[in-house]
Amino acid sequence: MSVVRRFHPEVRLKTLLAEPGGVTAKTALDRAADNVESVREDCLVAIDVKIEALTEAAKTQDEELLSRVYRLSNEIFAEAGIFGLIELSAAAHSLCTLTSAGASKGKNAAIMVHIEAMRVLRRPDVSNDRLARGAVLAGLRGLTAKLAATA
Amino acid sequence: MSDIDPNARINLSKALVLLIDGSQHSVDVLAQIMKGFGVPEVYRCTNIDEAEKITRARTFDLIIIDPQVSDGAGYEFLNGLRQSEGAPNAYTPVVLISGHARATDVRRARDTGANFFVAKPITPSVLLQRILWVARDKRPFVEVGKYIGPDRRFKFEGPPPGSDGRRENDLSAPLGSADEPNMSQTEIDSLIKPQRVMI
Repeated sequence: MSVVRRFHPEVRLKTLLAEPGGVTAKTALDRAADNVESVREDCLVAIDVKIEALTEAAKTQDEELLSRVYRLSNEIFAEAGIFGLIELSAAAHSLCTLTSAGASKGKNAAIMVHIEAMRVLRRPDVSNDRLARGAVLAGLRGLTAKLAATA
Repeated sequence: MSDIDPNARINLSKALVLLIDGSQHSVDVLAQIMKGFGVPEVYRCTNIDEAEKITRARTFDLIIIDPQVSDGAGYEFLNGLRQSEGAPNAYTPVVLISGHARATDVRRARDTGANFFVAKPITPSVLLQRILWVARDKRPFVEVGKYIGPDRRFKFEGPPPGSDGRRENDLSAPLGSADEPNMSQTEIDSLIKPQRVMI
């Protein structure tokens, strides 16, 4: 039998939240959304830099390749998602899944295709066209399904 | 805003919050969200060394961390925080935010002692819901084996069928019939009635 110690530590956060004053939840959320929008451009530039870093990382083919690609694509997944770049976020997530899975035939080529797809999704003509974005993502999904079937 | 009453008032104007994420831009976005919620002081760390230093020096009201920071060192950092009984942040509420999660990461995350998990991409609405939930969470902290943190069971439905449970205070599922007659209402009333005590 395990011996379990149970206790209730004091949570100051609960007391603070309930103090008089503050703002309504709606105001808090509106302000947060405005603040996020204020850093949108900086973050989109950073996403483009990360896609370029992915391209460079994929050229090296060294032992650290997969962990570098995984880390960068995970960051792009999260940051693109915050700003509503759904297809880019989904492509980055797909790249995370691909790099975290075991070795498979054609994996390196599939990584390159993902990176290229992410570059295309950031091109103004594609990023402003919902159908084009959807087509790029559908192509990626077809590729990953094919890879999974041959693994 | 789903579960949040838009007119409910929240006051985070005295809260001290620590944000830990390996990506500078992710931590900046989180900071913008927290400032929008009215948090005046937000500390940002992009590696575990900085986080360890600051958590030794300041007591935070909330920590939000991506455990992938510093090549996954965030998991060990959280374990260490919970094991540091008497240290400033041993019991500070922790919201763990996670991007793409590998199966091994999910298992590690479960045992870190975090209060709640939020999947990236983060939205202000989901983050506020989770912060309110964590603040009002009634689960006790438990210390069992190497684990210290909030009880990982959100509801207790008794030990698994066919077992007597693993804990010394677990009761087996079939409790059996009573071995004494039921108490009368008068007896129950006398137990809960305030009594004058001579000191």
